[in-house]
Formats: sequence, structure tokens, C-alpha cells
Amino acid sequence: MQGVVKISDSRYPELLRRIDSPPQELYYKGTWDSDIFTNCLAVVGSRRMTTYGRQITNKLVSEVVPGGLTIVSGFMYGIDATAHKAALDFGGRTIAVMPCGIELIHPEHQKNLYRRILQNKGLIISEHKGNFAPVSWTYPRRNRIIAGLSQVTLIIEAAEKSGSLITARLAKKYKRRVFAVPGPLTSSVSKGTIQLIKEGAGIVSSANDLLTVYDIERDKPFKGIVPFIGLDGIEENIINKLQEEPLEIDMLARLFGLSVSKVGIAISLMQVKGILFEEAGKYYVREFYNL
Amino acid sequence: MLIKVSSASNLGLKTIGVDVEVNVADRGLPAFEIVGLPSKAVDESKQRVKTAIVNSNIEFPAKRIIVNLAPADVPKEGSFYDLPIAVGILSSVMDCRLPDESLFFGELSLDGTLRHTKGALLLALFAREKGIKNIFVPKASANEAAIIKGVNIYPIENLNQLLSFLLNQIEFKPAEYREAKSFKKTIQAEFDMDEIIGQEQAKRAMEIAASGGHNLLMTGSPGAGKTMLARALPGILPLLTEEESLEVTKIYSASGRIPPEGSLIRTRPFRAPHHMTSQVGLIGGGSRPKAGDVSLAHRGVLFLDEFSEFPRSVMEALRQPMEDGHLTISRSRERVNYPARFMLIASANPCPCGFLFHPKKTCICTQREIEKYRKRISGPILDRIDLHVEVPVVDLKDLSGEKIPSKKGLESSFRIRKRVIAARKIQKMRFRDDDIYTNAEMKNSHIKRYCLLSKETRQLLLQAGINFQLSARSYFKMIKVARTIADLENSQDIAITHMAEALQYRPRVRVLES
Repeated sequence: MQGVVKISDSRYPELLRRIDSPPQELYYKGTWDSDIFTNCLAVVGSRRMTTYGRQITNKLVSEVVPGGLTIVSGFMYGIDATAHKAALDFGGRTIAVMPCGIELIHPEHQKNLYRRILQNKGLIISEHKGNFAPVSWTYPRRNRIIAGLSQVTLIIEAAEKSGSLITARLAKKYKRRVFAVPGPLTSSVSKGTIQLIKEGAGIVSSANDLLTVYDIERDKPFKGIVPFIGLDGIEENIINKLQEEPLEIDMLARLFGLSVSKVGIAISLMQVKGILFEEAGKYYVREFYNL
Repeated sequence: MLIKVSSASNLGLKTIGVDVEVNVADRGLPAFEIVGLPSKAVDESKQRVKTAIVNSNIEFPAKRIIVNLAPADVPKEGSFYDLPIAVGILSSVMDCRLPDESLFFGELSLDGTLRHTKGALLLALFAREKGIKNIFVPKASANEAAIIKGVNIYPIENLNQLLSFLLNQIEFKPAEYREAKSFKKTIQAEFDMDEIIGQEQAKRAMEIAASGGHNLLMTGSPGAGKTMLARALPGILPLLTEEESLEVTKIYSASGRIPPEGSLIRTRPFRAPHHMTSQVGLIGGGSRPKAGDVSLAHRGVLFLDEFSEFPRSVMEALRQPMEDGHLTISRSRERVNYPARFMLIASANPCPCGFLFHPKKTCICTQREIEKYRKRISGPILDRIDLHVEVPVVDLKDLSGEKIPSKKGLESSFRIRKRVIAARKIQKMRFRDDDIYTNAEMKNSHIKRYCLLSKETRQLLLQAGINFQLSARSYFKMIKVARTIADLENSQDIAITHMAEALQYRPRVRVLES
């Protein structure tokens, strides 16, 4: 389903109407349900996402989505796409604001995600109609819609002078709350977030920091979606070690003095159970495993 | 006077009989002509034969000599017609009878000695098949022919020696038959596995690959040790079996790659062509189709370093031999079939700059570049690789620190090879009624027969299939690899642990956008 909502329309989101130059028309795909705009959280960040960025995005989004927040982001690969996906994975709704015409899927290789957003009562919106191709100025213009729709803007990772910082500054201008995730000082995609913190952005250390802004009580900690299966001794040890630091399988074998074949068996089984995931050859314990 | 000398010509691995008819006419002007579609090398034979005869202190007849190579409509190539032509002329001039049921084959040097000539083994096989008793080949090539039982191989040093024999002036014993078992069994590799510190999982993958004959893809940053691992592989491979030895030696004999005095090949071939190698070089071809690296790696290892740098066309051309174990090269004039059952060991970088996921260095590639780079190795090729392993960069600090066991704690190639040999023995027994040797060659029908999975194991595989998004073909690959792991443990059944370990080597689809 698709259509257009004019600024004069009563269905037009109130928060967005209040910004300096709200779009006159919003083209959309999906089901326009005004309820979706009630509690919006913008989650944006770098295209060059690090493993840390992915972990934090997954963790925070998975924890705020059960509270009923809608995740708004820009459909770009990296943090944006991860935020959309995490929202969908945990049963939430999400809005993708496109920098291009509503008929275009950009970037094209994310068409699966595009479809999933629409299937799960989400919205794809844009101020451009038809096959309008994205150009350099449409990205920062698009960012004002992301910031405008949301009570809170959360920056996960951002490089210096990046588009995410533009979104953050616009949010500040619109008198919305801005939060940034502190990252390692050595990372180039932490420079922007640290800059924001210096300028007064809030620091996020847990999902509660965000949920309190919306006045939402989180009554009980969120439990993982993967059923828990019993562990044997090796698995227990591996989890404990991996929670200290992510490691390669070779290193685990060395540390425990076990053959790589034994450790491999344990790791495969834990991966199938959903306890571990692998990235860049290193193994990580899933965020929700210990919650 | 007309003399008929028998010889044979090799076309790929096939041999056809060729009659060399030499007519020395008393009438007409002195001349020396070869007919029967000779190539340049055959035509130049005239000069070699003439000079060699003169230099052997035999008078070259000033008569009209016509040589016909029959069948006359098949193009003739190669230098081995020297000997039959010379023998024909000598027999006519010296009036000596040629022995019955004999083939002559060899290239002449200008001084009358015989040079090493390619294809002697194929000639001996042809002789055995056709029931021809004697073959006369250059001494330097006799060893490779002497592995065939039931044919008298006469190693000839020079024309004078041969002539004395033909004139019954000397006794001449054929070369002694040599059994395959009598060849020495040395295994040589550039590196021993115990020289490689760290990389436990990659080494284990090598062991599994060597045991089951599986293809293997290693991904990792430059300097991680991919090449070193591959170069250590020959050290853990078992010797060729007798049947395999003969298959390999045939290909090498036909390509002229057996050195003078060389004989049966017992060690598995290891071919490492560079990524600039042309398609013809890798796959084989040419107007007279020659064996490429895939065939020269038959029953051995084809190591393709920097796999993603190989041109797409070359990579795709690997598909057919990887699937069928042989390939047919068709040209307008001929069609040649070469076996090509090799183990592919490929290595690739994770991205164009190589430092994606590197613990210290930063990758400078853009998302687009990485996506593009990944796509260079096509799905169908990845689908045909059973084992996928990541080779992480080993931190120098870790190498010197206590985290790494001392060299004594590392297993030597010799010990790993023992396990590999044991696993291959099990496979040989299993497939005694089939025409395959290793687990990697199993087709679906074999998998059904030899790889029964318990309910638990099947469940694990199915669950993993969902979690890891395995393709249907990957399913069968996992089963094959699990079969090999079970064989390494001498276990009849594929246990859940074997399947779990096999899953470690599943194809990694790195969904970067997720």
C-alpha cells in the first residue's frame, strides 16, 4: 500500500510539523497508522560500523523495542540497517526515511530488509516522489525528517563531520533529546560521538536511559528468544572466557589446552543453540544471553 | 627397396600405431622426402637423421629416399620419428632384417646418440595392449617404460649400438621390469607442520582435506600463513597407490615432464600456478591439446594462491573438471580427454587491501569494493569447495609469549600423515566396489549408502542449516566432511560430534550489510 500525506492532513505527524521546514508532502509505503509516530526513537550512525557498534545497536534496540518504541532510521547500510533489523527481529516497528524517491530501493542490495519492514507494519517514507535519484543534498535534508519525527535521537557511532552529526545537531535545534554511545577513543567512528558528548549530548549506558525519557517503565528484564539448552563444562568455560574478551578458536584451544577439534565441536553446538555468534573469526556471546 | 618400420604416435593419452615406410630407390636423382602430413619438427627429422647417420661413420646412401608416415591423413608431430626413419634407412642400406613385432621410437642427436623422448610409457602401454613384444626407446626414456610388465623394453644409447644388435654382432638385454613397490618412498614438503606456529584450526582443516580429498578455501589477511600452510600440505599426503601412480605418470609422460632416466611417480603432484596463468595453461588446450595444470595435478593438489585474482573465465573453467574429475578438450582437428581429479586448495584475501578484520591494521576498502571483491569467486565455485576456513593473523606477541606451546608441543607432519593414511585406508575399503577413492568424490547415491545419520545428528544439521543459511549443496558437503572426520577417528557411525566439527568448516556467507 502506498500514498501521500500532506502537511494539512490531520494524519501528518505532529512532532514533524513543528520543525523549521517540514516537508509539504510525505510519500509513504506500508500502512499509515498514526499510532506508529507516538513514541519514536531515531537510531543513526556510521556506515562503517564496527563489531562494537553492531553489538550496542542490537543490545539497545532489542531492549527498547519491547517497550513499544518505534525505531526511525535512514535505511543506509551499517548502523541504520542494523537498527532496522534489530527492531524487526524483536517484534518492533520501524520507519525508514529514504533520501530518494519513494519508488527507489536504495541501497538496492537491502531489498530483503525493505520487504521485511513493510511486512512487519513498518513504514518507508520520503519527501520525494517517483524514481527521484538520491543526490548529495538529499541526505542531510532527509536527516531533518529523522530528527523531526523522534523525541530522542541516539547516535551509536559517527565519524567526524559525518551525516549522523548533522542529524544530532538538527535534533538539538528542534529541542529534542540527543544521546550518544561512548566508544573507544582509538576508533575513528567514535570521534563524532565523543564530540557530541562534549557538546552536551546525553550518555547512554543502558536502555533505561532512553526509556525514562518516554516515561516507560521496564518492569522485567528482557529474556532471549533462543531456548536455553544445558551446557557441559567446556561450554561453560568458553562462555566465561568469551565474556571477558572475544577470541578466535585457535586461541581458545590454546588457552584451555584442548584440541581445536574439541573446541570446534563445542562452539558449533553453542552456535546452533544461539548462544554464540562469530564475527571476523572471533566468537562473541550473544548480548541477551546473560540478561 | 621398401622397408616398413612400426612406431606409434600419442594423441593426448591415446596412442595410435603409425607405420613408417622407407623406400630407398636405386633410380632417380638423390633426394630425401617425408610425406604423410609431417609437421615442421617431423620434416626437420631429415637433417637430424642424415647427420646422425654420417656421424655414426655409416655412409648415407646417395639415393632417392621417400618416407611415408601412414596413416597418411593424420597430421604427424614430434621428434620421435627420427629413430624409425633412421632404422628404415639403415636396414635398407646394411641389408639387415628388423625384428618382428617391434616398435621404434626416439629422437636422434646429431652425433648419433638418442635423446630422452616424451611418451615412452604410453608406447609401452600401447605395445602391451596390442600384444607387441619389443619396443626400442632411448636409454634415457627406458626407465619410465620399464614399469610395464610383459613388454621387452630395449634401451638404446646410439645408432651404432642398435646396428650391431640388428646385425647380430652383440647381445642386447631388455631393461628389467620394475615393480611399483620397489620405488623409494620419500615425501618432500617445503615446510613441516610443526614449523607453523598457531593456526590450529587451519591445520586441522588441512588434515581433514588430505584425508578425504576435499577442496579447501582459506581466507585471511596477507602474512597470516596461508601459503605456508598450503606448502606444508604435501608432507601430510599419503603416497599414490599403484593405480594412481600409473594414471599420474601417464599424464606426465605424455606432457614430457618426466626427467631423463626418470620413472614412476609415487608422490602426489603439487601444482601452484600463478594467477596470471592463461586458461590454456591452467585447463589445458592448444591446437594440439596439451594437459593443463588441472590434469598435472591429477590425484594431487592444485594450489591457487590469491584465488580471487584469477580471471573469471579461468575460474569458471575449473567447474567442469571439479565436478567430473576429467575434462575433454575439443579442437577442430582432435578431441582429447585428460583426467583431472585434483584437490583444490585455494587462498584468498578478505578484501582488496587484505586488512579487513585485521586486529591491528585498518582496512581502507569501501563497502562497494568489498562486495565486488567477494563476488569475484562465484557461487558455483564456492559451492564445490567442501571446507572453508579462516586463517587469522597470528600476533607476534602471542607467538613469543606463553600462550603458544613450544615447538615440541606441535604435531609433526609425519604424525598427522599417519592418521591421514589410516583414514584413506578406511575409504579404500569402503569404496572397493565403487569407482571412487575418497569421500570427496562421493555422489548422492554414495552418501545415501555410506553416510547414515542418526536422528540427533540429522536434527543438528537441519537446525544448523536454518541458523547458518546453508544451501542444499552445502548439506551434502557437511555430510561428506563429517564422514571424513568420523574416518579419522576410525568411527563407523557419524556421531553428532563429527557433524558439529564439520559445521566449523561450512561456507561463510559474510552478510556485511546485516
